[in-house]
Amino acid sequence: MTAPPLSLSQQLFRRRPVIGAPVAHGASDHLKRSIGTFQLTMFGVGATVGTGIFIVLQQAVPKAGPAVLVSFVIAGIAAGLSAICYAEMASSVPVSGSTYSYAYSTMGEVVAMGVAACLLLEYGVSMSATSIGWSGYLNELLNNLFGFQIPHALTAAPLGEDPGIMNLPAMILIIMCALLLIRGASESALVNSIMVIIKLGVLALFVAIAFTAFTTDHFAGFWDKGFAGITAGASTIFFTFIGLDAVSTAGDEVKNPQKTMPRAIIGALVVVTSIYILVAFAGLGTQSADDFGSDEQSEAGLAVILQNILHGQTWAATVLSAGAVISIFSVTLVVMYGQTRILFAMGRDGLLPPMFAKVNPRTMTPVNNTIIVAAITGILAGFVPLDYLWDLVSIGTLVAFITVSIGVIILRVREPDLPRAFKVPGYPVTPVLSVIVCGWVLWGLPRVTWLWFAIWVVVVLAFYFLWGRRHSALNDGGDGYIPGQVPGDDDVMFVEEPADHHFVTKHKDEP
Amino acid sequence: MTVAVGYLAGKSGTSPLYLAVEAAKTLKTPLAVVTVVPRPWMTPSLGRVDAEYAEYAEQLAAKSAKQAQEFIDKLADGLEVSYHKVAHRSTSGGLLEAASELEPEVLILGSASDGSLGQVVIGSTADRLLHSSPVPMAISPRGYRGSKAGGLTRITAAYPGTPEALHVVERVAALGERLRVPMRVITFAVRGRTMYPPEVGLRAEDSILDQLAAHARETLAQLKTDGAVGNDVELDVVTGNGWDEALDAADWQDGDLLAIGTSPVGGIARVFLGSRGSKILRHSPVPVLVLPG
Repeated sequence: MTAPPLSLSQQLFRRRPVIGAPVAHGASDHLKRSIGTFQLTMFGVGATVGTGIFIVLQQAVPKAGPAVLVSFVIAGIAAGLSAICYAEMASSVPVSGSTYSYAYSTMGEVVAMGVAACLLLEYGVSMSATSIGWSGYLNELLNNLFGFQIPHALTAAPLGEDPGIMNLPAMILIIMCALLLIRGASESALVNSIMVIIKLGVLALFVAIAFTAFTTDHFAGFWDKGFAGITAGASTIFFTFIGLDAVSTAGDEVKNPQKTMPRAIIGALVVVTSIYILVAFAGLGTQSADDFGSDEQSEAGLAVILQNILHGQTWAATVLSAGAVISIFSVTLVVMYGQTRILFAMGRDGLLPPMFAKVNPRTMTPVNNTIIVAAITGILAGFVPLDYLWDLVSIGTLVAFITVSIGVIILRVREPDLPRAFKVPGYPVTPVLSVIVCGWVLWGLPRVTWLWFAIWVVVVLAFYFLWGRRHSALNDGGDGYIPGQVPGDDDVMFVEEPADHHFVTKHKDEP
Repeated sequence: MTVAVGYLAGKSGTSPLYLAVEAAKTLKTPLAVVTVVPRPWMTPSLGRVDAEYAEYAEQLAAKSAKQAQEFIDKLADGLEVSYHKVAHRSTSGGLLEAASELEPEVLILGSASDGSLGQVVIGSTADRLLHSSPVPMAISPRGYRGSKAGGLTRITAAYPGTPEALHVVERVAALGERLRVPMRVITFAVRGRTMYPPEVGLRAEDSILDQLAAHARETLAQLKTDGAVGNDVELDVVTGNGWDEALDAADWQDGDLLAIGTSPVGGIARVFLGSRGSKILRHSPVPVLVLPG
């Protein structure tokens, strides 16, 4: 395919026309507006409280000290503001889609590619990192239950500080998730609710036991790490709030979105932040801030804290580890699912090779895509100690959210009359504030994270300039529209009695 | 050659008989009604304690045959019907034995009685046969009362689009041609269930389904290009949120028959129902013909 006769800037900023994907019978029918504030709030809480809180204290407390409590509030505010902007974006693009397709329809191809780079980074790293976290809790569980541990050589990456051969459990988890996805498994609403209950139950257990060993002494020197420390803590914490946008995208199923949406976002935010702060507060009360960074807590941190409190009694740590093993498994499944679906969307738009958009007719799932994702993230999880790279997840999400907030402003200016089911309250202050707060949190991230992020985005954009730009589905004047007419659906009918005997299947006696 | 139907008095209802009579009339063959009864012990017992039991089995067979006969006479006068009794430890085993002895063109069974009316419900007997029968099988939906047209009006082949399943289309095309019955080929595409990963939205599965349906349309159109089916064959891709919805959406008509293929592992040609086939089977509102692979 030759380069289209478009100027480069036209090409970079061409937008994909918004059209509903025509799906034959019933499947894409709009659901009834049936979700109320409470349900939507719970949906947001369920989607947000994930793996993060099981892992994040060990990373954030050494940066911010006891003032990590403030960091949680800052990260929460940033997440809440972006979620509100996200809600307007989701309601102004009539077809529900990912952040990537919103960017494609409103801000142009190159921006979409940038957002896709953010999402791929976010998903790729967080999948590898959750599976490494899972490996840690699994080992803790095995140790407590059977006194048996997978040897260090098989649970540590070769590139880390304390090198092993590979992280086998993490790779196995990724392979299991890939197999489930290929078979078309999904996390049903019921399973999701059960997972939320397990997570909250386990966290409640942690808080209850941690309060028995609570000492206010550990809060001495609350502000010692200063403003920079708090910001750095908030940046690290930010990824634990990912998922709040679950509320935003449910827009077209929500009753009276203009009222319900902000209430649910704020409600979910308050609940989630309270849970996190309670866990952090309880955890901080049990040990000094420096202990969080110790080696023994680098894996299965919360479980180790419980064990220390109970002076070696393991039951509570066992329960917590079991809860973490189950819930992190489900989180990894969902994250992997998300990764494959974003690649699928890009493949359909021609920005990635069509292989990514191929759906296997037997399993009815994108099999190639899933295998590629599993291979890459499995290798990452097995050989690179990505759990130190949670910051990359935060940076990807923050940049994606900033883009969305800017997109809201662009759309308001360019298409003021576009019907929107939900409009950001306090425009233009809210989206601007969202950009500022997200930018502030972004600023707190270490420079090395910025560097990695920049390299990744450059790689993706280079791929776009060299390949995607020329293969985009928009080049042919195409719009991704699938013809609905089936060839040859004539309806000729003639019923006649057969002249003689017939076989159902060809028989050996038959000529 | 015959059409065989499994029948036991008071057990399976009359719906398989309706289907069997229709099949025999359409295929112009005699009908064999097979009743499987418990097999008495072959070892001589003290004082012949199982004599009454053996007699009960005998009576059961006779009663079944009589009931079936009365019924079939009402339905179709002049059809050549034979009645067979097979003594076997299990019903499915007995039917297999009958199948290998009679070599029928198709073995017809009814639905189990514990499902909803109008749908195919697989009982334990049918389940085993659907994984071992050497001959094609047909299952009638629960409460099936025959077609108003009095016979087959169309055959629908379920074709997943994979090369291994091409034989189903070819066989159904051949059958349809010989029976002078129109045929259509349907590919069922089912939407995956919604999951919620951040920033991906709730509609990711819609686009997957979309792509699947587009691909299925191409594969179906290919059937005509390759000459696997004639030009007057109706081709359709039917989608739904679940198998139940997809099957409901397929626009059934009176006298329709759904044909599905199976792909047994190993070299022996027999019926071996897979997971996908059993989903189609269980949600079908019309009789289903299951072809051995």
